[in-house]
Amino acid sequence: MSAGASKIVSLADLAGRVPDGSSLALGGSFLHRGPFAFVRELIRQGRRDLEVVKQSPGYDIDLLCRAGALSRAKAGIVAMEGNFGLAPWYRKAIETGQVRLEEHACASLTAGLRAAAFGVPFMPCGGIHGSDLAALNGWKTVEDPYGSGETVYVIPRIAPDFAVIQANEVSEAGDVRVFGTSHWDRIMSRSAKRVLVVAERVASNASFRDQPELTLVPHFLVEAVSIVPNGAWPGSLWPDYEIDYPAVEAYMEDGPGVLDRHLAAGPEAREAAHV
Amino acid sequence: MFEGRATVEAGWSGFSYIVTNLARFVRPDEITFSGVNSALPMLACLLAKQAYPFDFTYINVAGGVDPSPSKVPISSSDPVLAEGSRSIFSNEDFYDLCTRGLMDLCFLGAAQVDGIGRTNVSCIGDWHAPRVRLPGGGGGAVMLPTARRAVTWRTEHSRRTLVETLDFVTAAGGMHGVVTPIAVFVKREGRLALASWHPEASLEEVRDRTGFTFDAKGAGPTPPPTPEERAGLAALDPEGRFAADAKIRLR
Repeated sequence: MSAGASKIVSLADLAGRVPDGSSLALGGSFLHRGPFAFVRELIRQGRRDLEVVKQSPGYDIDLLCRAGALSRAKAGIVAMEGNFGLAPWYRKAIETGQVRLEEHACASLTAGLRAAAFGVPFMPCGGIHGSDLAALNGWKTVEDPYGSGETVYVIPRIAPDFAVIQANEVSEAGDVRVFGTSHWDRIMSRSAKRVLVVAERVASNASFRDQPELTLVPHFLVEAVSIVPNGAWPGSLWPDYEIDYPAVEAYMEDGPGVLDRHLAAGPEAREAAHV
Repeated sequence: MFEGRATVEAGWSGFSYIVTNLARFVRPDEITFSGVNSALPMLACLLAKQAYPFDFTYINVAGGVDPSPSKVPISSSDPVLAEGSRSIFSNEDFYDLCTRGLMDLCFLGAAQVDGIGRTNVSCIGDWHAPRVRLPGGGGGAVMLPTARRAVTWRTEHSRRTLVETLDFVTAAGGMHGVVTPIAVFVKREGRLALASWHPEASLEEVRDRTGFTFDAKGAGPTPPPTPEERAGLAALDPEGRFAADAKIRLR
């Protein structure tokens, strides 16, 4: 029985699949298990006009704003978190109009992704009543056609061009395993048109067959995978490593050369340079 | 500053006041949730587990269900908050739990709160041309109207945080409770009413520094922390790192 052809490619190849103007659902939450080496590689390759789709982006969206690679965002809550507060370059990009925001509640963004995943044009979402977000986004309500008298908001379909998932382990064929919470990665992987994965390491096919219930995304949904140890740096990847707080602190400095130094300090860059 | 001297004598810092009073909203046998960007509610939930002699279910944004974290993380969404958990109850799960009406108590952040407990977490100034772009609502617009009770906190008690008119209504539905360094509000008949004030503050001071009008019937000084609450918080923050990071002053 074949386990499928290898989908493992270099990080440069993986990021090279994303054209300018793409929308990207990025896995993880704030500083935790985000595809951060991938985001840095997009910046190294000079990508422009990107859109981030993520319930709780932070470092990733801030970095893309800082590099001038982002033009649009659909997000629920944006912050560096930890004790770093707001995401400063994101904030500046919104305040100056460089980036256009579609502000969501985390669950309304999930509803839009669910619509795409379920193959329907819109999805009901609980709550929202009384929020200015509804008028801002032109969200409409429907009355329960079955007569309960309830009125619910419906969120239009959100189908990102790519979902990019940061994983603990993959098989060579692209089965994806994540430890700890999956955040919103599952629905991202079912709603996006293409799924790319960055993983800490390869695990054996046998290990996936032994415990298939640990597989978050099956290989047939995955287009390509890169293996990048410490790829979620400076964020955490449970249980392998924690947030590198000094590195985030260094990133937060505003000054000439800080961004370049930060990009050069990424484990994927150090690996390529054989540092 | 006033706080440095007086609170050492009185023994109740703004930091401890907020965490302790958030913990006091936790009730037996309920499901209580703490989220992202929420170090103080995270501490409050962990404190309630230590200080109160009753069971409740603590779920958090890291997927943890009554976890036993090996340390208290700086980030309130740190995966260590799922350590020792017997299941991972992930983001979609706890939102769905809330919208179907089973979330008893939910801690949600706010930049501005109005007199009926609606919140703004989106912007200062016009949404389309903000003076300050804030983090955004996160859970608010969906959880505030659907949780049985939601509670928020502000580390600054002022007329720019407790306002008559929000710059933007990110979430409606109404907070059940609001805790600041000098006051605890609880909703009564659809409006936030003052429940108690910090023993070093006064009703006049709370009125002076609050942008919305409120009822204060029955309010008095907040009961001081119990020995269990004091010991619990000291155990969670033995070096005062969270207290220092939070930078909370009474005035």
